[in-house]
Amino acid sequence: MAEKLGVYICEGCEIGKSLNVDSLVDFTKKGKLAGICPVVKKNAVLCSPDAKAEIEADIAAEGLDGVVICACSPRVKWDIFQFGATQVERVNLREQCVWSFQDDPKVPGLLDLMAKDYIKMGTMKLSKSRIPTPDVPETNQTILVMGGGFTGLNAALEAARMGREVVLLEKEAQLGGKAAGMYKTFPMGHPYLKAEDTGVDKLIAEVTSNPKIKVLTSANLVSLEGAPGLYTATINAGGEQQLPIGAVVLATGWVPGDKGFLAPMGYGVYKNVVTSAEFEAMAKAGKIARPSDGKAPASVAFLTDVSLCTKAAPVEEPCAEEGAEAAPAEAPAAAEEAPAYPSTESAKHLAYSSELTSLVALKQAGYVREKLGESIAFVLYDHMMVPGINERYYKSAQDDAGIMLSKADITAVAQDSDGGLIVKAKDTLLGADIEIKADMVVLPTAVVPVTAHEATMNLVYRQGPGFPDLDLFDGFVDSNYICFPYETRRTGVYAAGCVRQPMTLANAKEDAAGAVLKAIQCISSANRGVAVHPRSGDLSFPVFNFQRCTQCKRCTEECPFGALDDDEKGTPKPNPTRCRRCGTCMGACPERVISFDNYNIDQIGSALKEVYVPDDMVAGGPRVIVLCCENDAYPALDMAAFRGKTWSPYVRFVPVRCLGSVNAIWIADAVSKGIDGVIMLGCKYGPDYQCHFVKGSEICSRRKVNIAESLGRLGVEAERVEQYEVSIDEYDKVPGIIERFMTEVITKFGPNPFKGY
Amino acid sequence: MSNTVRVQPDLKFVQELQQVGGEALKKCYQCATCGVVCPLSPADGPYPRKEMVWAQWGLKDKLVNDIDIWLCHNCGTCSDMCPRGAKPGDLLAALRNMAYRSLAKPAIIGTWMSSSKYFPILMLIPAIIYGFIWSIMAGKLGTAFPLFVAEGHELKVAAEGAIIYGGLFPGDYTIDPIFGAVFAFMVFAFAGGIASMLKGFEGMPRTFIVGRGAEPSFLSCLIDTLKVEVAQHSRFQNCGQEEKDVQRFTGHLFVFYAFIALMIVTSVVAVGHWFGAWFLQHVMGIEGGIAALIAWAGHTPMPLWSPVKILANLGAIALVYGLMKLTGRRSALDAAKSSSNWYDWYLLTVIWGIAVTGIGSEIFRLMGQKVLAYPTYYLHLVFVFMMLAYLPWSKLGHVVYRTVALAYARKIGRLPMGELK
Repeated sequence: MAEKLGVYICEGCEIGKSLNVDSLVDFTKKGKLAGICPVVKKNAVLCSPDAKAEIEADIAAEGLDGVVICACSPRVKWDIFQFGATQVERVNLREQCVWSFQDDPKVPGLLDLMAKDYIKMGTMKLSKSRIPTPDVPETNQTILVMGGGFTGLNAALEAARMGREVVLLEKEAQLGGKAAGMYKTFPMGHPYLKAEDTGVDKLIAEVTSNPKIKVLTSANLVSLEGAPGLYTATINAGGEQQLPIGAVVLATGWVPGDKGFLAPMGYGVYKNVVTSAEFEAMAKAGKIARPSDGKAPASVAFLTDVSLCTKAAPVEEPCAEEGAEAAPAEAPAAAEEAPAYPSTESAKHLAYSSELTSLVALKQAGYVREKLGESIAFVLYDHMMVPGINERYYKSAQDDAGIMLSKADITAVAQDSDGGLIVKAKDTLLGADIEIKADMVVLPTAVVPVTAHEATMNLVYRQGPGFPDLDLFDGFVDSNYICFPYETRRTGVYAAGCVRQPMTLANAKEDAAGAVLKAIQCISSANRGVAVHPRSGDLSFPVFNFQRCTQCKRCTEECPFGALDDDEKGTPKPNPTRCRRCGTCMGACPERVISFDNYNIDQIGSALKEVYVPDDMVAGGPRVIVLCCENDAYPALDMAAFRGKTWSPYVRFVPVRCLGSVNAIWIADAVSKGIDGVIMLGCKYGPDYQCHFVKGSEICSRRKVNIAESLGRLGVEAERVEQYEVSIDEYDKVPGIIERFMTEVITKFGPNPFKGY
Repeated sequence: MSNTVRVQPDLKFVQELQQVGGEALKKCYQCATCGVVCPLSPADGPYPRKEMVWAQWGLKDKLVNDIDIWLCHNCGTCSDMCPRGAKPGDLLAALRNMAYRSLAKPAIIGTWMSSSKYFPILMLIPAIIYGFIWSIMAGKLGTAFPLFVAEGHELKVAAEGAIIYGGLFPGDYTIDPIFGAVFAFMVFAFAGGIASMLKGFEGMPRTFIVGRGAEPSFLSCLIDTLKVEVAQHSRFQNCGQEEKDVQRFTGHLFVFYAFIALMIVTSVVAVGHWFGAWFLQHVMGIEGGIAALIAWAGHTPMPLWSPVKILANLGAIALVYGLMKLTGRRSALDAAKSSSNWYDWYLLTVIWGIAVTGIGSEIFRLMGQKVLAYPTYYLHLVFVFMMLAYLPWSKLGHVVYRTVALAYARKIGRLPMGELK
């Protein structure tokens, strides 16, 4: 607990012009928290070096253990307002008070009231905060790389170069993965014009000769137990062995998609319709030939428009057995033991692979030209997706007179009377609906991540062996595509390569390096007892007061990251190194058993109670609490204020780590105090979620139903509590959201019936 | 456009097109900038975008029957603006080259005209013909560089005589019959070429032009084309007003009217000789009066004050001026944007050859330098032969093909957007 606080109020950035800062200082000095605030000062420019020196001097002289900075948003100048071990609370007088203030002429002194509320709330919040003292475990440093394909080999080498011990695990007998079966790949270096050797043989030689890399082939991961920095991997490579592991790079890659989806384009109907994977194998074997008669084709059509397949895709997902076919021989044995794993493969994977499909078509058209002299290669594409430097590769393919390209929507693949294939297309560049005769047709191969069919990691986690909610990503294990690449839903497991997203070898190489860096960051964060991401460096961790735990399991079930295991009775077993410190468990717990030293139920609850609620709503105006996500909603509010937006003077913002951490008791407390409404402002959730903690806002929306029921029992309208989704860039919508709530909810329902009690 | 078209790409055709000047055609990615910036492109099915993709796909049938290649006047704006350096202007030029090569028969001349490596053959044909005449006459006259004095209608070799080209290369028996035959051959070849070109245009869609009434006859369109596009170079003017456009417009106009002037001179000589001297005087026996005047007007060598000679000399000067403009522009082309091909250089070479040897012949004759004069005149004959005999297969074939195509386009209403007012 911080018991000797310094409160500093800034006068800069219009704060001093709009507010009577002297009266605020006076108010704080005489308020109920005066006893724990030995220093209360104002300063013209609090972020100036002089002011900072003054604060530091006060800390030394008065022995302050906490500083309340009443100035600008905590999202700015955070580097200035740091005072070593002394805790800091920022009170946002600038953005949320002065800049966004919208006066209500019916009620005088609103701005002053608001500033006082915020100062009281901040001071109260800090007074209840403690400095976390995490356990610092002795961690394993070894990195387990899952998959010995191109990505895995690169990852192993990267990790070894950074001085780490590596265990490289490959389920096949040979290293090399898919790259080993490729004739060539797209250019990986300047001048980016020609397909080139994959270089996988050289990589394998480097890996096998590297003393830091332990290669296990024909091996599978039986289980991975423990937590980041503290894992024990049980590996079967001709006999089980247990290895201590720090973190994992998941580079298990992909399997070619179910060819059944290609039937609408003639695959399986006509012999000379093949997949690009089959065509690649032909090129690798050295002979491109028509399957029907073994003759060299005079023309080959590469079709990248798969809309015939995606439109015709069955509603039912293909059954898991189809995936098992593509899996190696030892998979069936494992499948028997493992619980049924729902396949997430669908025809959509064809579309997801479109960048590779475009590049592969160009590459293989080049094979035709290279190996078959005067044969023609057609590339009919719905879009030629060659981002970045690969544009050069497209250009060079275009330059070949024998590669004929056109945008085209494929309408049919049929057979001519003489056995040749007819491709029909519309919307082409040739200005008409066309049909082309070709000796062979090559269809795209879908890149389906291994995780679409298998649990892969075989984690010994309460929430199961695989990654949750993979259906949202159709099996790809990335958990936050835009903001946090490599991160999966399991801290300590970092995905790279095609298990994460269909990608080129060049990208996979970079990906491998990125995932290795994350893995190393994870181990070194666990080492110091801090969070890895997204709250990198956060010292806090959930503390459980087990005496009061009722084993309801809500926390263990709701944790988005599977951080909590439990014992037979259901008592949660925390794994701090798996935890991302979002507080979802704290929000879940009906008994308020879970807390963080510097973010807990009491802190926020007490702060809420500092909001002054006039007994008469007509005379003093209503009061609304906005619990806002500090990752997206809070910055959106700051931006709105910065851009001159204003909103009702009756709302009070309370930042939360994540809407998932919002405990129902806060809302109950607020309502019982007479607060007229509560807005929960969080991230978008669902298939395109933006939540930093993946599930927080979604879980909050589910809990809201329960909260509404509870309110109903108290005779308070459920509509008084509402959740809204905003993304970080929707600053322009924030004032509208508040405005709508104030008119539709508060005006409609009137004062909270509890007001005045 | 709902009818499905069977597309049959012809890789060899693509490669041929690349060889005759369309080497960058594969770089096109169909952004359509070219068709938009073209000042002469029609609103419907604008060129050269569609030609680019047809060329990439080797759609020979479409391209050999494409009227649009003749509507293009090769200002190069499309190539300048092309973001990919695909040089659509060069492609259309290449397509015209293909047309020169294949429209007229015999095809072998088309092949010979398509590459610089056959240039010696093309040059050797007239060189041997006139060399043969020269050697026979030299044997007959006793010298390869004779000087002549006129005795009545006869020319006698005399040490103190003058250089008379007609003495060494007698018009009546060598020059005129050969050029007459060459001219007839050329006209015959063109006739075949035009017929085959018009046949190809048959499938062209008609554009209805509001206010124009019924589709005009081909003849009236041809007359309009000659009056407007040909005589005034109107499309050239529409090509643009930048320096290089003006340079090309001026150059082409000068060369064009120089040829008109020189054609008039040649006609006067032919009419004077064959109609005046031979028909009126020799056959009909009319002496003096109009017959004498006609005969005199066509009599060579002419005195320098003869209006016909003055016209000839003015024509020669205009020709050189125009050639300098055109050659200057072509040499200054940015190779990254537009390039010149063999057809361009062949034509410039031959016309320069005609101009230089023509002027040289006159100067050396006047200077009395027989050792220089006769070989220069010999070369002049060779170059004129090269221009005339191979005309349907050379870039100069556009004189006929483009005129016919423009007239046909006028007939079917395929006009530049700017002219549809």
